Amino acid sequence: MKALASPWLTIRVQIALGVIFIAASLPKIVDPPSFAHMVYNYRIVPGSLVNLSALTMPWIELLCGVALVLGIWRATARNIIAAMLLMFIVAISINLARGNAIDCGCFDVSAAGKSVEERLADMRFVILRDAGMLLMAAQLWWADVSMLRFAQSK
Amino acid sequence: MDLRKHLTEAFTIIIAAVVCALVANAMASRERKLALVGTYPNAQKVPVRTAEPLALPAPVVPTATTATTATIPIPVPTATTTTVQKIAAPKPVAVPTATVAPAPPPPVEDPQKRFPPHPEKAFVELHGDDVAWLHDHGALFLDARRTSVYEQGHISGSRTMSVWEADVDEKVNKLYEERNDPREQLKPIVIYCSGGDCEDSHMLAQKLWGVQFNNLYVYKDGFPDWQKRGGPVKTGSTP
Repeated sequence: MKALASPWLTIRVQIALGVIFIAASLPKIVDPPSFAHMVYNYRIVPGSLVNLSALTMPWIELLCGVALVLGIWRATARNIIAAMLLMFIVAISINLARGNAIDCGCFDVSAAGKSVEERLADMRFVILRDAGMLLMAAQLWWADVSMLRFAQSK
Repeated sequence: MDLRKHLTEAFTIIIAAVVCALVANAMASRERKLALVGTYPNAQKVPVRTAEPLALPAPVVPTATTATTATIPIPVPTATTTTVQKIAAPKPVAVPTATVAPAPPPPVEDPQKRFPPHPEKAFVELHGDDVAWLHDHGALFLDARRTSVYEQGHISGSRTMSVWEADVDEKVNKLYEERNDPREQLKPIVIYCSGGDCEDSHMLAQKLWGVQFNNLYVYKDGFPDWQKRGGPVKTGSTP
């Protein structure tokens, strides 16, 4: 457990998670209408909030990603990212359960033209990938908790 | 952990994101701008995936005898005549007039007669043959895909009207002004997108139906089918 909280690992996980979120945000910021289409396809967000979500969510991803890379407000950025990952996992799981095959719109906002089966398989993979990123956020949290305990024990 | 500090930071990040989003959207080009509040009536309705096409309204063609498919039957005058001649040909005597099938009426050339208005429903789905017929007879075509995709290739003569771009209401109003005469609004309009799961054409049809356009048709198989059929295609930003 001590190795999990090592500064060597923590800094790499922090930067990697930040870079992933920056990379995910850019295509959405560049083309908001396409991302709004993706958000609409999830069939979860109320119609009046589709555009507003599509406009703001990528900027939250970008700012949290930049915060992680620069090490500013690290704990807050990590918590927001973890909350977003949980939200993505729930949203995709709901659509998997409904059999509504969608493109996740995670890193690319253009429709990939895949078959229903391919999209469903992608959705299962995306849940696993997001769970992996959630573990990265958990590692950052664990490192913070360990550091706090170490400071309190002194 | 200082909860108050975390909440303040989280709130600051979210407010900063909202401000950045609003500024970026205000500065975006027409094609990349979004209306802040979208109107998507089916946003929480999961689409039912069926292979069955929607049924068309009863056609006004009086001689339609094979109205069993979803496509509107086209009277083919030559087919019946040819059959009669083939049967009658070996006989040396003159073909009695009683056995000759009555001459079919001339094919309907007026798009509005063949595709009558249907104010009770937003749109009717059509397949390639009917769409090609409407294209040949000068019906208005609207491309519901993104403008950038339209520019890469669209049905010749079609106009771009993407439901995902902020200026869609402006374009709808412009079309309404162009066709503000109620008779003009009854003329058939064909809307298409990418076929398959694409719903943009249906969404645009709903929007146009909302402003009293009562003769809207959705090209179910969309632009890929048009290309497959070898229909006229144009690239660039002009129809």
